[in-house]
Amino acid sequence: MQDELADHNFQVIAVAIDEDVEAVRGFMEGITYPVLMDVDHVLTELYAISNVPSVVMIDENDTIVQPNWNAYATDTFKDYTGIDSGEQLDVIRQWVINDTPMMSADEAKTAVGDLSADEELARLHFRIANHLRGQGDNDGAARNFDRAAEHAPHDWTIRRAMMPLRGGDPFGDEFFALAAEYAEAGRPFHGVAARSRK
Amino acid sequence: MQNDLALLTNGPLVSANELRRELGWELKPEGLCREDVCVLVPDRASLEADGKIDAVAVAALLDRPALVDEVTGVVAIGAQRSIRKRAIDDLQAPDFVLPDLDGTPHALSDHRSKKRLLVAFSSW
Repeated sequence: MQDELADHNFQVIAVAIDEDVEAVRGFMEGITYPVLMDVDHVLTELYAISNVPSVVMIDENDTIVQPNWNAYATDTFKDYTGIDSGEQLDVIRQWVINDTPMMSADEAKTAVGDLSADEELARLHFRIANHLRGQGDNDGAARNFDRAAEHAPHDWTIRRAMMPLRGGDPFGDEFFALAAEYAEAGRPFHGVAARSRK
Repeated sequence: MQNDLALLTNGPLVSANELRRELGWELKPEGLCREDVCVLVPDRASLEADGKIDAVAVAALLDRPALVDEVTGVVAIGAQRSIRKRAIDDLQAPDFVLPDLDGTPHALSDHRSKKRLLVAFSSW
């Protein structure tokens, strides 16, 4: 996508909401655009992001023309999600080439709900947990990860992101248990959910 | 460019220098200041203790969320809520700076005057 649209004054910036540089590097073989590491989840606080992938389209004047959209740039997960990335890539092309975004400004302004006080606190606990983990204070890390999960039980950037940091498997039983909890809660998402064909 | 985020490892009481370095704001006679912006401080005594400045009280005044881990004294302070509000309500993209895989910092504003596709992803 970056190569295809490079002549249209277009830049992809990928941000890994992640602390594992080597795991991210593995994903990013042959990528030429910037791939940034957001260990402290700066982006999830500033943009009220609650799951990945979330894409944000930002124009030449720093205006968000498409806020938090659960778009996939790949069909890797299509069988599981039922989401066709081809349609999503077309939306991005339409905006980059023809300047026609998917949403009107009025729609975009109501597309994302603000973080609650609990969701803010969850992010702070997560940062402290990650810091203490780095210091070798596993009890302190566990205490703060637990609190983060209590404050934001349906936020994937909290609940799922902490799984590998606590020795869990983000693709195993814990993931499916969380997915069930999330569905039960009505799939709360800060932004525009992807359209599934399932 | 510095992200609006701080992690203090030694409790909420900081020196004037630490406040400037960690929070990006300075306590001056005219108030709490950053670059050419100042916020009035209605009760200066409430910010100061033992010759130090209470970063959590400063955070409250700046409308930044703050949290103290009582066991370790580690303090996390988030961004001014107005930054996220401007993104959600007014569609103004918040700037940020983050390292790439080799540690080189990149800011969103490095690519100003381009259309940018920000893709938040993860390995989990």
